[in-house]
Amino acid sequence: MKTSLSSLIVVSLFLAVSAAAAEDKTPTPFAYAAPAFIKELDTRYPAQPPVPPSPPRYGGVLHFPATVRAFDPTVGYRPELALVWDTLTEWEATWYFPDVQRTPVIRKTLATSWEMVNPSTWIFKLRQGVKFHNRPPVNGREMTAEDVKYSYELLKDKAQYSTRAALVKTIHVVDKYTVKFELTLPDPKFYLNVVDSLSPVIVPREAVEAPGGLAENPIGTGAFMLKDFVPGEGALLVRNPEYYLKDKDGRALPYVDAVRLIFTKDPATDMALFRTKQLDVMRLSTLDTLYALMKTVPDLQLYRVPSYGWGDYGVSMAVDKAPYNDVRVRQALSMAINRDIVAEVMNRGDAALYGPFPWALAGYTKRADYSYASLGPNYQYNARKARELLAAAGYPNGFDMDLEWAEFQGWTFNEFVQLVARFFGDVGVRVKLKQLETSTWLNRVAGVQPFSDTLAAASPIGAGPSFVDWVYLRYHSAFPRTVNRAGVGDPKLDDLLTTWRHDPGEKRPALQRAIWDHLRDKVYRITTIVPPHYRITQVYVHAGANPYCWFPGYCSYEAKTAWMTDKAPNRKFEKFAQ
Amino acid sequence: MRTYIARRLLHGLLVLWLVSLAVFSLVRILPGDAVLMQLDQAAAPTPETLARARQELGLDRPFLEQYRTWMAGVVRGDLGHSLTSRRPVTQELLKRVSLTSHLAVMSMIIALLIALPIGVLAAVRQDTAGDYVGRLFAILGLSLPDFWLATVTITFLAIWFQWIPPIGFAPIWEDPGRNLSQLLIPAFIIGARLAAVSMRMTRSSLLEVLRQDYIVTARAKGNRERAVIVRHALKNAFIPVVTIIGQQFSVLLGGTVIVEFIFLQPGVGSLLLDAVQLRDYTLIQGAVLFFATVIVAMNLLVDLSYSWLDPRIRYR
Repeated sequence: MKTSLSSLIVVSLFLAVSAAAAEDKTPTPFAYAAPAFIKELDTRYPAQPPVPPSPPRYGGVLHFPATVRAFDPTVGYRPELALVWDTLTEWEATWYFPDVQRTPVIRKTLATSWEMVNPSTWIFKLRQGVKFHNRPPVNGREMTAEDVKYSYELLKDKAQYSTRAALVKTIHVVDKYTVKFELTLPDPKFYLNVVDSLSPVIVPREAVEAPGGLAENPIGTGAFMLKDFVPGEGALLVRNPEYYLKDKDGRALPYVDAVRLIFTKDPATDMALFRTKQLDVMRLSTLDTLYALMKTVPDLQLYRVPSYGWGDYGVSMAVDKAPYNDVRVRQALSMAINRDIVAEVMNRGDAALYGPFPWALAGYTKRADYSYASLGPNYQYNARKARELLAAAGYPNGFDMDLEWAEFQGWTFNEFVQLVARFFGDVGVRVKLKQLETSTWLNRVAGVQPFSDTLAAASPIGAGPSFVDWVYLRYHSAFPRTVNRAGVGDPKLDDLLTTWRHDPGEKRPALQRAIWDHLRDKVYRITTIVPPHYRITQVYVHAGANPYCWFPGYCSYEAKTAWMTDKAPNRKFEKFAQ
Repeated sequence: MRTYIARRLLHGLLVLWLVSLAVFSLVRILPGDAVLMQLDQAAAPTPETLARARQELGLDRPFLEQYRTWMAGVVRGDLGHSLTSRRPVTQELLKRVSLTSHLAVMSMIIALLIALPIGVLAAVRQDTAGDYVGRLFAILGLSLPDFWLATVTITFLAIWFQWIPPIGFAPIWEDPGRNLSQLLIPAFIIGARLAAVSMRMTRSSLLEVLRQDYIVTARAKGNRERAVIVRHALKNAFIPVVTIIGQQFSVLLGGTVIVEFIFLQPGVGSLLLDAVQLRDYTLIQGAVLFFATVIVAMNLLVDLSYSWLDPRIRYR
């Protein structure tokens, strides 16, 4: 239904656009009438959800969807692993709110304080009295500095942790509760880089070295202990009774007795599970699915927040070869796209404009700032100017382009590439769409394999609000294509990034804005829009004293503070299949 | 007969060896590998880190060496360890085989319960209203895709009855009630499609047999019509039906992926699809070898059943 409706919209809109282009007039900006539904959502569900009632209720089993192949951090990264294994620190779920994105809140988990000796040397003090899960072969012994050293040395070279851990050269145990990090590059904000579950988690050596390793001995310091793992179906994790964190009123965490992860793969199944109260928390990809679900579950709780930057729609270009090595061509292609129409077609207009990297990192912290005015002329639809730029670059008759894409869960690239192809066609660029098998596409997105001309893909993301993740690693020419995926080699940009890296903090906001300005001018990647996150919960679920998190998986530590009212279904938790 | 079986078994082994060689080579032609497929989108590993991870998994060793090691394990009954979960492939397969077998057997029973009576009735009462209704059912069964039927079913079950089949597989010998409530609906959806094919085959095959001289003779001898159909016609008409059922059963083992996804009952097909997407070579190899073994065995059983259905058939 959605596809056919969207196709209808695409056809109608393009008839309008084509007519405008044919008359060679400056097209009027596309003004979509935001459906009444969006307005209703704005009113009923403000970005900051209401504070849940207090005190929280203990008990209950929280269900949410996930995909975990192995509960073993040495094998692969999944955000859900944060339920069992802790990092030294973690993000509070507040940092993504538009008005606080620049001051991320860090929850001190295994580390309680840190000190910068110099930008290349950091000392972390560890929490005392933290116990590993009371299971053999570890049997609830205390976590110490030796475990931190062991875990970082074990995991820092693993591909899944390399973004953060590669920055660490050596780790020294100063005393039982103190570790010292020596870094490969000076970093005055290193403490931000040990946050989040993309950083090495702390594991006990005995469990790693026991037969079957961590997969058979999933022992950590986390709020939950893995009780039952059924590959392909799901997992059951029960409350760690000795978990060290307390809520702000000193009550023990977590509140729920258990968490059941259900490994789903089909959106219709997710919705059926939610309708039948077998899922308590989930994320939806589109406004259409939200609308469909709200019709049958009218009392659901919605947290609708502008995306920080995850899930955008964009086009990567082979910037190291003609014609994409010419900035005029890149600017022309960007101007050829009417982003209002993209938003309308991709998500009924419920989307924000997106620039070179997250708005908040450039200092734009209000939703009203997410505008064409902040993005500049390269992001505004101007077919005439686009044709002029192409002519100036030596392509008055356009050129041929291969646009590669793939189906990927959570995105609708098939509609996006058709739109882009038509927009490019209007300025003379003849696009041939090439659908790739998803894994092949992922390889090209990751920079492991080159793509021929252009590739429809989301922007490379960071795991938190870290400028290092989102920008520094992605655009500095010192990094290989697997990191700097666009293959950008721009000396001026390198200078800006290096200056930023060495700055202790005062000049960083201004430098980040300068980098934003540079990138929006050079258009190394065409970005368009990013839909908001629709995170829904059943009416009987509260997220404790913390604001809601937008994505159950990435904020799985939220399960520590979630609680359920007495209206929640009564669920058993002896094994997964119950 | 023994010589025939021995020869077929040898042929089967040859087929399995060729399959092992083909799957081992083909999965390595696919772009990407297990190391890359497990990376989070936010990860930014260097080529050196990736090379180290590949080395850990043994993916950097020469092709022939990898094949020799794997085959040596296969001969001993060890299919290796999954590259993504690090669990033994045999262990991963066994759990899924149990679920798939339940679903396949249940679907097949439902299919036969629908197909055989309707097929026979349609043939015996050719060109009557019953025949037309049966054929309409067959066309419907063939026209409605499994995934559509499954999506519609689960959606409307949730909206109208606030119920969907329970999550988490339980074998029938452990919890029959739960097992049936989990698998009956997906099995019916899969079985309806299979029934359509079997029903058409039963009808056309029986129609052909009913025109044979020996049926005329049986009727001329004064046998009742039911005896003629059941004792003389049906058994002979079953040869092509059994062939179709054998093929369908083999397909069922790996071909119910979408229904498995929708009803959260992941079988071997889902496992294989996941393995392909994650480039989990050892798991792909193990699953494909399992499918090949089942298909070889099923074909042998079907061929052997011919002589029981028609004693004139001799094996040499």
